Amino acid sequence: MASESCGNPTADTDARMIRRPKFDRSKFCVKCKENTGNIVIRHAVYCKNCFMPLLTGKIRRCLESFINDKKSGRRTYLKASGNLLIGFSGGLGSTVLLDLIHRIYFPSKMESERRAESLKGGTAHPRNEMIWQETRVCYVEVCSAFPNMNDRTEEARAVVLKYEPFEFVSLRLEDAFDNKWWAKVGGKPGQGLVIDPTNEALYISKLEDTSLADPVQRLRSYLSALPTPTAIPSAIRMLVRLLLLFTAQSTNSSHLLLATNLTSLSISLISSISQGGGFTVKEEAQEKWSSDIAGEGTSRTVRLLRPLQDIGLKECSFWAWWNELHVIGRDKYPGAKQGIGALTRDFIVGLERDYPSTVSTIARTCGKLVPKAGANGTCVLCDRSLQIGVQEWKARISIRSLSDSTPPPASSRPSLSDHLCYSCVTTLTSRSSKVTARSDGPLPLPVWVQPYLKHSIPSEDSFDVAMEEELKEAGGEIWERRKVDESEMKGKISDFLLEE
Amino acid sequence: MAPRSCVLCEKSKAILKRPKTGQQICKECFFYVFETEVHNTITQSKLFSPGDRVAIGASGGKDSTVLAYVLKTLNERYKYGLNLFLLSIDEGITGYRDDSLETVKRNQQQYDMPLKILSYDELYGWTMDAIVSQVGRKNNCTFCGVFRRQALDRGAAMLNVDHIVTGHNADDIAETVLMNIMRGDIARLGRCTYAYFKKLDYFSTECIYSPDAYRGHARTFLKDLEAARPSAIIDIIHSGEAFEVSEEVKSTQKAQQTCKRCGYMSSNDLCKACTLLEGLERGMASSGITDRARKKMEAEGPAPDNLRTIPFFRLPSGQPAVAIESPS
Repeated sequence: MASESCGNPTADTDARMIRRPKFDRSKFCVKCKENTGNIVIRHAVYCKNCFMPLLTGKIRRCLESFINDKKSGRRTYLKASGNLLIGFSGGLGSTVLLDLIHRIYFPSKMESERRAESLKGGTAHPRNEMIWQETRVCYVEVCSAFPNMNDRTEEARAVVLKYEPFEFVSLRLEDAFDNKWWAKVGGKPGQGLVIDPTNEALYISKLEDTSLADPVQRLRSYLSALPTPTAIPSAIRMLVRLLLLFTAQSTNSSHLLLATNLTSLSISLISSISQGGGFTVKEEAQEKWSSDIAGEGTSRTVRLLRPLQDIGLKECSFWAWWNELHVIGRDKYPGAKQGIGALTRDFIVGLERDYPSTVSTIARTCGKLVPKAGANGTCVLCDRSLQIGVQEWKARISIRSLSDSTPPPASSRPSLSDHLCYSCVTTLTSRSSKVTARSDGPLPLPVWVQPYLKHSIPSEDSFDVAMEEELKEAGGEIWERRKVDESEMKGKISDFLLEE
Repeated sequence: MAPRSCVLCEKSKAILKRPKTGQQICKECFFYVFETEVHNTITQSKLFSPGDRVAIGASGGKDSTVLAYVLKTLNERYKYGLNLFLLSIDEGITGYRDDSLETVKRNQQQYDMPLKILSYDELYGWTMDAIVSQVGRKNNCTFCGVFRRQALDRGAAMLNVDHIVTGHNADDIAETVLMNIMRGDIARLGRCTYAYFKKLDYFSTECIYSPDAYRGHARTFLKDLEAARPSAIIDIIHSGEAFEVSEEVKSTQKAQQTCKRCGYMSSNDLCKACTLLEGLERGMASSGITDRARKKMEAEGPAPDNLRTIPFFRLPSGQPAVAIESPS
């Protein structure tokens, strides 16, 4: 029903909110106040000359307070405790990040000689050493996940090798299911686990299916067993993140840099909140991660940082354009368009056009949030903090059976859902309202889940033994192989045999 | 495809799929789970004590009508011992509120509950129609929102109730979580969960021609998310309950005080309603909205002594301060 008091925007143009002008006062650069502006960043005008140091300044401000290890005392110069790993996807953001990090921290020989003249203490002074001893750029190729996708590894290699002294590291998404890669990063190879994604408890069994021996097959089974188009990009994102973190740890890197810019950070924050990831909203911006996969009690802490998080998509585009950077680009995942991630992207990018401050408001607001309750270890799949009482919350807010007063006895089969965060459970179990072409086959788990599960069940001497026993009791799927003699065999089929 | 039977009773034909659980259930089971979930929220969160007086914020819309019905049903079924009242706010919008107030009056008869209708005119001396005639159509939502929030609290104080309950549903809560993040409204973000349980956050979802384009975008977005994955609404609520504003940030926020003019809770010397009302009364309505207009009004000197103001606010205690319409 039409209201008398509120305007009707379709009939009455006065009822619309007035669009703010693109820039505040004048068309001159707000910094030098001399040149005509070349770019408007959230209503402020900058010229090309002032734009370049503006961006490098933002990177340094974002990164440098996290470079030194706190234990290193009152050191006044920057020195990281380990190496550097940069995640490179081939997209605009990572192309810009690579260029900016190289310019700021790895100047060319000529440039460094020029700088050396003005350096205090000479080139040999520890202050003037490289911040990170070794720098690697890691590219994760995702083309095996879907048919007809291009392998861009060589293109990525060509881009990275232009930046001396960066070393190129090539990974593939299927490595997350590959024991060889797992052994390379220091893990102990296991037989592999699968879950039944059709049951909300996500019962675990051992991987027996020989058709899933190949990591690519495992990856594809994993993705095709996911219930919604939303779950696929979320799962790939999680796998890439973990592949990079384990690689960072195994290359003795103290820092892992990702090219999330302000726009994509806001998108991932809203998308993560919309997928139930409120508890770990802080980790979307930055995280401190370590994993004791070797079980030795010592593990390197990797700091995952996003140095572009104060720089919007538009600024990244201008940087790439003015510096003539070649962006190799990425293929879109098939079906992802209908997912929550893509919907959020469309929403935020559209909103940014009319309300340019929205993206920074989202990022700043989320930066003020902390988890409300305590954590209970980490999720065995995404390795982020596990909120206490997730299953209880789910049970409390919705009645799922008419006999809620007497809950059914817990199954003795090991269930994965107790060891997963809310987001991961949702990714694996929440269905679409439409019927999607998902496979009902088992869902193979990434290689790190099995060792993590062993840590999560401390009372058991061996998770494998415990699981096999539980499965046997429950008439589960563990098969025992033994040679059956001829008489026993005959006895089993006697009913079907004709008399001789 | 053969009709599926209800997954709960396994007898009747399923007629709907619950987004929250993905289960297909029948009508009877839907009523059962709906009512029992509301009952569980009330008992597990210890919302009420026996003998409490509870006002139901009634707009005449579906949500508040359902709330009134369910609360009355549960109060009788589980013997909560609550005294229930209906509280309606009349903004004074000709041709808009009239029908819905008629619905509320019918609810009063059907559910046998006392009703109090509190009008902006009675409380502030201004109807929304009069406000719009002075401020125009652009900023009137600010007036309406601020005045409604305070009117509900004042109505509750007049009825001497211990609680106000409103019919905000899961979609409203999820929308509020998203809106507060997008607008950077830290103070509200902290209250959101509280509102979920206590149902105390008020905003209008009814004014369909509201020029609040921003909220409109958020609502469309939320609907798209729900279509992509029906659990999105409940997933956003879960997120909203999992975080809070850090202590460090909270300590920099303004402490809550009481309005020096009307005694209502406020972050400044004057509450927002008094500021807006003063602007209206002095013919400078935009002073409550822009800094420039506020400074201009301040330059014209202090408020005159004969300024009409909102009656002094007192927290509920003792007997109801107003006559309540009882169902005949």
